[in-house]
Amino acid sequence: MTVAVAEAWVEEPLRRFVDDARVVFALLVHPSGQVMGQHGFTRAVDVMSACALAAAINASAGALGRELEARPFKELYHAGLERQIFLAEAVTVNGACVLITAFGRETSLGLVRLYFQEFRQALAAAAPSAGKAGPVLAADFERELDRSMAVLFGRARPRDLTPV
Amino acid sequence: MTTTFISLLTPLSRRRGVVGCVVADAHDGIVVEAVVRQGVNANTVAALAASLYGGAVQSARAAGMGEVGFLRLEAERGHVFAIGSGELVLVVIADVSVNVGQLRVDMLKSRENLA
Repeated sequence: MTVAVAEAWVEEPLRRFVDDARVVFALLVHPSGQVMGQHGFTRAVDVMSACALAAAINASAGALGRELEARPFKELYHAGLERQIFLAEAVTVNGACVLITAFGRETSLGLVRLYFQEFRQALAAAAPSAGKAGPVLAADFERELDRSMAVLFGRARPRDLTPV
Repeated sequence: MTTTFISLLTPLSRRRGVVGCVVADAHDGIVVEAVVRQGVNANTVAALAASLYGGAVQSARAAGMGEVGFLRLEAERGHVFAIGSGELVLVVIADVSVNVGQLRVDMLKSRENLA
């Protein structure tokens, strides 16, 4: 399976999740909407749209959860006729990331949830120390988004934050 | 919250060698009801066993053998058994001390109560 990443440290956990869970699309985004890695998309514009929607869904679901249960919901699942989507947060030392994934009949919600647990652990273990990947400032957001898209679609190299 | 399946799972779980019984959605692999020993993750069992059962159903149909009656996977240190009915699948995990014949009869009887 092919995954494209803007941050090198997310590649192995994301690749393994895609392989194991047999999902059609997977998108790992910062809650701000900045893309970190993806599988299944072929056009930058689709990734940008999906990132914005995923971040918005995550923010809405989080707010709704806090309203109803005084804490954000852990997972969100939506079933369609042919495809289903699953969205959940994975927390690392650098903060939360949001994984949104779409899958068909080749797999099941149970398997996606199972392999998401493994993905969350692998991502937390692979995350660089907190100081190396600071939050993206609003002023830099557009430049970072452009850079991420360039990396994902082969016009630039991923940022390597692994410890030396 | 418990479902009506608890009365189906409890006798099975008391059989010698049985370490876990799960009723799961056959398509989603999500737990409907489970009785498992400590240390057994019902969510994992449901997800993987439902996938296994789904694969067996597809394989049997592709080979022209009709519907799957009873699935038994024999491993080094135990067994996985599964039977389906409609949208549900009943999965039993057991160690090597289980009486396979007795458990098979029990599971086939239980199938009537699954639907």
